Amino acid sequence: MDRDEARRLATRATLVVIAAVSLFGIAFPNSTAGEVFYTAIGQSTIESSLRLAVPIALTAIGGLYAEKSGVINIGLEGLLIISAFAAVLVADVLGGAGSTGFPPIITFNLGGSTYTIDPGLQLLLPNVWLGIAGGVLASMLLAFLFAVICIRYEGDQIIAGLAVWLVALGLAPFASKVMYGQPSTPQVVRLGDWTIPVLSDIPFVGPILFDANPMVYIMLVSVPVAWYVLNRTSFGYWVRASGENPKALDTVGVNVNRVRYAAVLISGFFAGIGGSALSLGSGGFFNGAGQTMVDGRGFIAIAAYLFGNYNPFGAFAASYLFSGLQALQIRLQGIAPTEVFLMLPYIVVVVVLVLVGRTRLPEAAGEHYESGED
Amino acid sequence: MSWLRDVLERLVGASGAERAVISLAALALSILVGGVIVFLSGLGAACETGANYHLAIPLPGSFEILLFDGRLSMFGYKSCYDPINVYEKLFVGAIGGLPWESGWQPTNFSMEVFLQRATLLLFTGLSVAVAFRAGLFNIGTQGQMIWGALVSAVTVLFVADFAPAGLAGTAILLPLALFSGAVAGGIWGAIPGALKAYADANEVITTIMLNFVAIYGTTLLVSEFFQDPQSAGGTQTRMVPANSLIPSIPFGFQGTRFSILALVLALVLALVVYFVLWGTSFGFDVRTSGLQPEAATYAGVNAERTIVRSMTISGALGGIAGALWVLLANGRFLTGGEVPSLGFDGITVSVLAGNNPLGVIFGSVLFGVLKSGGNALNFQTDVPPELVSILSGLIILFVAMPEFFRLIGRSMGVGDKSGAAVATDGGEDDG
Repeated sequence: MDRDEARRLATRATLVVIAAVSLFGIAFPNSTAGEVFYTAIGQSTIESSLRLAVPIALTAIGGLYAEKSGVINIGLEGLLIISAFAAVLVADVLGGAGSTGFPPIITFNLGGSTYTIDPGLQLLLPNVWLGIAGGVLASMLLAFLFAVICIRYEGDQIIAGLAVWLVALGLAPFASKVMYGQPSTPQVVRLGDWTIPVLSDIPFVGPILFDANPMVYIMLVSVPVAWYVLNRTSFGYWVRASGENPKALDTVGVNVNRVRYAAVLISGFFAGIGGSALSLGSGGFFNGAGQTMVDGRGFIAIAAYLFGNYNPFGAFAASYLFSGLQALQIRLQGIAPTEVFLMLPYIVVVVVLVLVGRTRLPEAAGEHYESGED
Repeated sequence: MSWLRDVLERLVGASGAERAVISLAALALSILVGGVIVFLSGLGAACETGANYHLAIPLPGSFEILLFDGRLSMFGYKSCYDPINVYEKLFVGAIGGLPWESGWQPTNFSMEVFLQRATLLLFTGLSVAVAFRAGLFNIGTQGQMIWGALVSAVTVLFVADFAPAGLAGTAILLPLALFSGAVAGGIWGAIPGALKAYADANEVITTIMLNFVAIYGTTLLVSEFFQDPQSAGGTQTRMVPANSLIPSIPFGFQGTRFSILALVLALVLALVVYFVLWGTSFGFDVRTSGLQPEAATYAGVNAERTIVRSMTISGALGGIAGALWVLLANGRFLTGGEVPSLGFDGITVSVLAGNNPLGVIFGSVLFGVLKSGGNALNFQTDVPPELVSILSGLIILFVAMPEFFRLIGRSMGVGDKSGAAVATDGGEDDG
């Protein structure tokens, strides 16, 4: 059986299972399937599924850019961890719920008299958004380090990615202990929901789509934009060519390594938003206990873009599948022990990987490219 | 300095030795970067006065050669942590002090922790190394350990009711514990192996996912079936009987946390793994499919079967580590705890050792020191012991970039032979 066939089969089987459970649930509302179905289409479940999908979907989009360009970024988990922590740290250092003016008012002392440079017009930036910017920056820095190791120093991508994960797994709780005396930070500040007037009054859809966490909006915009950039712009063409046939791209005169650097930085950018959404977007704190609050989402994101056939829309759908399971788990704890639901997403990922396998891995993924000219 | 260059050149010339040089350089560099991280984080930490930097070479007795004594600051900020002191605590504290200090005994508590961790890490390191040699990245040692630990604890608890008391019981229970752990870990390792072999599922991701499944699965099983009725909190089994533990011979440590016997077993197993990999035709198949999968298949190696077998052996080694974790560290299976870090550190140990079973011995000793020293760090300084995890990640990071060290080596004028980069395709070729 050919890979694409297997994927189509897997997707169809998933849809059939979902449809079967739904039909059974509609027919027998009092059965377990009925309870699962009506919980799954409940407004609050869809809302929280979307919110839980944000870190996975954004990271998956970033990861698929990197992999399309020929760099397998196993370190996504580490990028999520570092950005989740850095976002909280920056927001807290700048001061919880306040805002920071830009450009800043500078006051200095010269020989007894005080001078003040006041730009007059100041842009007030909420610290929670600066925190998110900090998280994105931290993630992109780590992604850049990863890119340098893989591209400049020709390191093995799997080992370097693993290192990024392990460094972040140690660094975030370490820094948290230095700053707060414990591996998890206290609650600092969290993003409030944005309500779009009028539209949010539409029944059912309104509260889900137009009274949501801003991170959900960012995700919903990112998916089509990422698809458009990848499939309809010349940069997207370069990224795909760099993964499939770097030599051809080089011949045309495009610097393959530069494209790969850009793609890895994009993966850092999206993972950075995802990580900040995880900490500041929902709880407003960073949990560094055990596997940290990221808890394997970076790896689930990799499975999501594989399942989604390197298509941002597919990656989003797969992410929603995983986050929907998670949201159901929170609501259906009475049906089975918690651990059964906690295990479920990971088992689904393994099953998905078995059905989808390595699929259409870009031709040159995992390989170094050296231009013949330099 | 020219003799030094000669020595370096000769070392760098040999591919296996080059790996050793790169590992050592990576180690040194990660310690350096770790020190910078400690210093910088000391700027952010809150303290009354800055750390006193006391730089001295300790000598027997209370003598020392003083190098520097005072405070360091950066932009007017004083750092609260002194990296030199931190590393001294880390490395000296790991064995409970310097051997020539009065009152130091080879059987002190820190020494016990150090040797216990080294023993466990030897198994997890071997587990990763075997898979690595076959071109497989087993990140699931952690999960294999957890299953090995649970199954061996439950088996011993079950059989103990029928087993004779005393040493006769030990003769039955101890091998049984290790065997059941190996079987459970082996099965858990065979799963991603089979998925890789027959469905081409990426083993890096499946093993990580199966780690999570193992954590939640064992928690579920313990809380549903094997929960210790007497435990107030925490999901854990009953204590295994004392006669199933590894006897503390030939000479006694105070606690029950370590036995020389376990270390000897681990060392013997390292030699066995080395012999299997380099002395048997199965080992040859494993190594060739790790280096050149296509060539191996062409030469008649059954690729699928080799993958499943290597993952099974890898998992079994992880499972034995889990059984020993029950027998040495806790006396029972408990959820949570330090199993995850032992699994991950196995990866670092193996990568650092160039996936050579004999190198793993040195790697596990080093990490045993770091683990035990982490305790000393926790009790004697304000620096969070998570520093050890950062060091472990940094080591892998630097080992991943051999080109970097080659460039440095080249700029120093040392040999220009490019050996094999550390890679997921079976690691170095020491042909």
